Formats: sequence, structure tokens, C-alpha cells
Amino acid sequence: MRDLGLISLYLSCAAALWAVYAGARGEAKARRVNLVSILTAGLSTLTLVFCFLTDDFRLAYVARNSARSLPVLYKISALWAGQSGSLLLWLLILSFYSFAVQRSRPLREGGLDLRVNAILGAVRAVFALLLLFVSSPFELLADPPYSGAGLNPMLQSLGMVVHPPLLFAGFSGFAVPFALAAAQLWPGDSSGRWLELARPWALTAWLFLTAGIVTGGQWAYSELGWGGYWAWDPVENASLLPWFTGTALVHTLLLGRGQPGGQWWGYLLSALTFVLTIFGTFLTRSGVLDSVHAFSGGVLGSIFLGVLGALAAFAAWLAWVRRTSLQGAGPGEERPAALASGIKLGNFLLLLLAGAVFAGTMFPVLSRVLVGREIVLDEGFFNQVTVPLFLPLLLLMGSAPLLTPHTAGFLGILRRAWFPALCGALTGLAVHFTLGGGSAPALALAVAAFGLVTHLGTLLRRKGPLKPGSILVHVGVLLMLIGIAGSSSYTDSLYVSVEPGDEVAFAGYILTYPGLRARYGADRYTVGTTLSISKNGREVGQLTAEKTLWENRSQPSTEVGIFSRLKEDLYLNLAGWQGQTVQLHLQRFALVSWIWFGSFVVYLGALGALLDKQVKVWQRRTF
Amino acid sequence: MAKKKLRVVIFALIPVLVLVLLAFRAFEHSAAYYYTISEAKELQAEAQKLRIKGQVVKDSVHYDPSIPLLEFALADQAAQIDVIYGGVLPDNFHHAQEVIVEGKFTSGGEFMVSKLMLQCPSKYEGEE
Repeated sequence: MRDLGLISLYLSCAAALWAVYAGARGEAKARRVNLVSILTAGLSTLTLVFCFLTDDFRLAYVARNSARSLPVLYKISALWAGQSGSLLLWLLILSFYSFAVQRSRPLREGGLDLRVNAILGAVRAVFALLLLFVSSPFELLADPPYSGAGLNPMLQSLGMVVHPPLLFAGFSGFAVPFALAAAQLWPGDSSGRWLELARPWALTAWLFLTAGIVTGGQWAYSELGWGGYWAWDPVENASLLPWFTGTALVHTLLLGRGQPGGQWWGYLLSALTFVLTIFGTFLTRSGVLDSVHAFSGGVLGSIFLGVLGALAAFAAWLAWVRRTSLQGAGPGEERPAALASGIKLGNFLLLLLAGAVFAGTMFPVLSRVLVGREIVLDEGFFNQVTVPLFLPLLLLMGSAPLLTPHTAGFLGILRRAWFPALCGALTGLAVHFTLGGGSAPALALAVAAFGLVTHLGTLLRRKGPLKPGSILVHVGVLLMLIGIAGSSSYTDSLYVSVEPGDEVAFAGYILTYPGLRARYGADRYTVGTTLSISKNGREVGQLTAEKTLWENRSQPSTEVGIFSRLKEDLYLNLAGWQGQTVQLHLQRFALVSWIWFGSFVVYLGALGALLDKQVKVWQRRTF
Repeated sequence: MAKKKLRVVIFALIPVLVLVLLAFRAFEHSAAYYYTISEAKELQAEAQKLRIKGQVVKDSVHYDPSIPLLEFALADQAAQIDVIYGGVLPDNFHHAQEVIVEGKFTSGGEFMVSKLMLQCPSKYEGEE
């Protein structure tokens, strides 16, 4: 079986290289060759999955990440628990995109898909070469064990089943808009048609990247036990950077061809986003920065740095030789001037955010070069710098429905904004005087209220510059803003030691500790407790927290208890015990569930926008 | 046209400048230098925030969940310090070889950790 996987990987690599050559020359047979490369990449992945499912511990990668007793679902997800499997997954996802490009009718016109796939094929070839010669998942063990080391218990959760594939689908998806731009500019086509063609691809990648980032936060929140979902860790920032530029890209593509400079901006943002996705991979693989995600140093990092440099050089070179084509705006649809200006201002703020986060993330490297000493910036830096950028950005997003042709001019916008602005101001004042917590949450909730009212208004009046999909995405983002503002500003924490029968008063609830229970499994020993929660003398729910000790691991694993309400989450961590006396770490985070709910609204809106035919070919719309 | 462009540039510069100012202000509170343990020991007197990377000394770990208080010794090739952390013992603590601690020295000479960082469970295996 292992040989089949390795041989198909070789085939896939060779076919990808051949498809690059044939595709760049515009030969139709490139499609068939490309298909071979795609199918063999799929076969190779399936082989590895098969090895995981059949407990083939002759493979070092399987032995390191799986075990006989592992549930089937986690045997599959163990595929991306390590480095080489992640690279293989990446290759597979990129192959899916390549296949979709090949099947897309608008892209086949004029053989554009051939050139797009030549670029995607080159990227795939790099991944395949890495898999073959640097980090192979098919390496054999001289002395295979009876069972593998098993999957880290922290990775045995639904979050870690979905988070990496979603993130990779987002990362690799942003290769397509850039490949499209390059494929059209290559022969000197200045029509800017790629701006329209790239819309569904950019939006798909954006949807996946957003979902990847959010599910990562969700996993951290429910699995790690510290109660947070975002820590401005370098690896997290690495996924956020292409999100900033990708968001700007999606909006720029919607701007339409008629906009002067539209093509130039679109090219810049698509190239930047693609480069940043590779940069993100480089950051996680190079060991250049210390992170809780613990990078490995080594040759892979330098290879990614090389790819990064080559890619940036190619993008810059193409922009230079085709600079006249890039200036061509081409005939395009009219968009309200106010909306176009709003999008440009938003792009500017998004780029500032990306720049600030990039600078903060790379500061240790920069300071090492400049002053010979690593200086690390903590969360405080990122919060203080990004919040003053996020709030105007979200205020601008909130005012998007007001930017119709009728409201030309600043005064016109102000006239229509007075009611939402009043709602926002009242919300902000109410928050400030009832809940306190400084100016940040009051401002954030004011911005959220303002935006929700404007978007609700455009929904009720059924007219405005935004499509239903865009409205939903904006509303979802604002709901997430409410959740983020609430959960980072209004929190309580209590560490107590209790005996069975004790009652603990916390955040307006009474929690009763009934005692500890233990459970033995084949390879584990689980200690847990279930607290009953009551409010105003009535039982409202339960909180269960557990700690599992594993026979063959020094590291225990924690199941935190989460009692989730619209208003707040109660978060319980079983910190320790002696006999029946236990130490409980109780935390309260306000409005956390709004983040997860808001993210679903975002997904729904983005899906709706994707199904909207006009994303593919935007038609002129009357207001 | 040139005049209009100039105006755009000037308007764009204002937020950039504000951002740079903000960054500088935030920098003062948030910057932490990486020190080796021997360097950190020399700076013991000046109660400033330090960030140290080191190995947890085996058998030095003591955890009292009732407070909670985690005590351990942190070492690199050259030196060793005693570290105290008033937080819940992270699951992967015994698993982690290398930890990053951020905090200050107490008057008693122990390093009081405000932030304890461990390797992530999704840690990717290193290359040979």
C-alpha cells in the first residue's frame, strides 16, 4: 500500500510539472495531464488514509500520530496532525481547486484555465517535491511497533477535525485569484475581465479562511481551558494577515471594472494575499519566531522562504512588464461613487491593520537584526494598536447601506445616518453608565448598534447598494463584534476549594458541588464532577468538568465545562483534587456565544452571496 | 489632478501617523526582551519585565492546587532560577521540555511568572 502512495506522489509531481509546461504553451492536452496529477494526488492521500485506518504502523508517520485504540474519525483526522500529512492535505486541496478551475466554463473560454492551472500546477509541484524529498509521510520504520504513539488528546476534538482543512482550504484558495490575474495579464490582456471571474474564487477562499480562523478560536476556547479564543500568537496572526488583505480583495473585486485603478488594486491585493498565505506557512514551519504553537526549525522553513521570494519577485516582475495593461480599467458597470469611496477607505484601513499586525509579529526578528536582541510584543500591543483601527473600519462597514447614489456628498450621508447614529450613541452611553468597563466596550457596542440599525433598515426598505448576502455577512461580523467586546471586557474569575455539598456563589448563580466521581477506561482514568447551577432558587443547568489521566502519556487532558447562555458563558475548569476536596476555577465571559452565532451568520451570508448569480456576473442594478 | 492626489496622500498620512504614535505608546508597555537565565539574574535588582526561555528541571516541579501555586526550577546550559507561578497547572506542562516565562523577580529572588507559555499540542515534529 505504501508503495502505491509513494508512486502516485511521484506521478502527481511529474504530471504537475508537465502540465505547467504544456499549460503555459496553451496546449489543450495540459488538461488531461493535469487531471492525472490531480487524481494521483488524491490516490496518494487515500493511501495514507488507508494506512491510518488499517493501523499500518510500519509507516513512521502513522506510528507517530495514531494508535490501535483511536476512534475511526480521529484516525482520519490524524492525517493532518503532523507536518508531512498537513502538506499532503494542502496538495490535495490545491488539486481540488485546480480541478474546479478546469471544469469552470467561463475560465475555459480562450484557454484561460490552462494558464491558471499552469500557475497552480507549479505551486503543487513545489508541495509534491517537499513531500517526496524533505518531509515524507511514507517513510518506513525499521522496527514497527505493535501500536502507535496515539493522537495527542488535545487534538481529539471535533474542532481539530475541521479547523486545519478549513484553514488550508482558505489559504490555498487565495492562489486562484492571483493565478487568474497573472494568467490574463501574461499575454498582455488589459480588459480586466479577471476581476469578475475571480469573484467566486476569492469569496470561496475568504469563506474557508474565515471559518478556519473562527473554528481555531472555538477549539482553543473549548479545549485549552484558559477560556480565551485569540492570543495574538504569531501563528494566529499569520492566518489573520491574509484575511485582512483577502477581505480587501473581495471588496475590490465587487467594485467593478469601471473603477479607475480597480485592476491595479485587485492585482496588488490578490498578489499580496497569496504571498501572505505562503508567508503564513513559512512562519509556522521556519522556527524564525517563538510561539506556543512551537515551530520546528530546519530546511523546510528556508525552502518556504525561497518560494516566498520567488513568488513575490514573479508578482512584481509581471506587474512591471504589464504595467500598461494593469492601468486599463476597461468598460465596466457603474457603482455608486460613495460606495466605491467607502470600499477604498476600507481597503486602506485593512491594509493598515495588516501592516500593524505584520510589524508587531515580526518585531522579534526585526529587533534581532537591528539591536541584536529579541524583543517580543505581547497581546497588549496588538490590542492597543488594532482596536483603534477596527472600530473605524467597522463603523465604515456599518454605514455601507447608506452609501447610495442618492446620498451623494457627506451631508447627504449624515442626513440618513442620524437615526442609526442616535441608536448607536444611546447604546454606547447605556453600556458606559450601566456596565462600565472603560471606553472600548462602550464604543464597540455603539458601533455594533449603529451598523445593525443601518443594515436592518436596508433589509426592511428592501433597497440599497448591498445584496442580501453582503448584508448578512456584515450583520454576522457585527454580532461577532458584540461577542468579542463583551467577552473581553466583562469577565469574572474565581478560584475556590470546595467539599462535597458546598455551595459557591458566582456571578449571580449558585453552584453546588456534589462530589467527585472516577471512571476507568482501557488506557485512561477519568476524574470528573457535575455541578448543578441554580439562579433565584431554580435549577437552570449543569456544568461538567473532567480531567483524564492516560496510561501511556505524562500529559493529562482536560474537559472544561461550559454553560452557555445568550448573556454569558460559565466556564469551569477542574484544577485539582485531594480526596473529595476539589479546586475549581470558575470563569464568566459575557456574550461569548454571540461570536459563534455571528460566525454562522457570516458563513450563511457568504454562501448566499456565492449562490447569487450576480457574484459571477454582476449586473447593473437600479436603486 | 496632481493637487487632488496630494490631498489624498496627506489625508492618508494622518491615520498612518496616528497609528505609529499609538504603536509607540503601546510598545512601552508591551515590549519584553528575551534574556538568557544568566543575563536575567544580573538584572534581578531592577524589577523590570523579563521574558526567559529555558528547560524545566526534572523533579523540581511542585504544584499545590489549593492556592493554586506552581513552583519549578528553570535552567539553561549556564544557570538556573526558581520560578513561581500563581495559576492552574497547564495540562501539557509535564510534556513540555521548553517553556517561556514572562514576569519579574521578587525581592526574595524568585522569578514571579505572570505569563507561562508552553508548546502547543499541535506542535509539529522537528526536522533532523
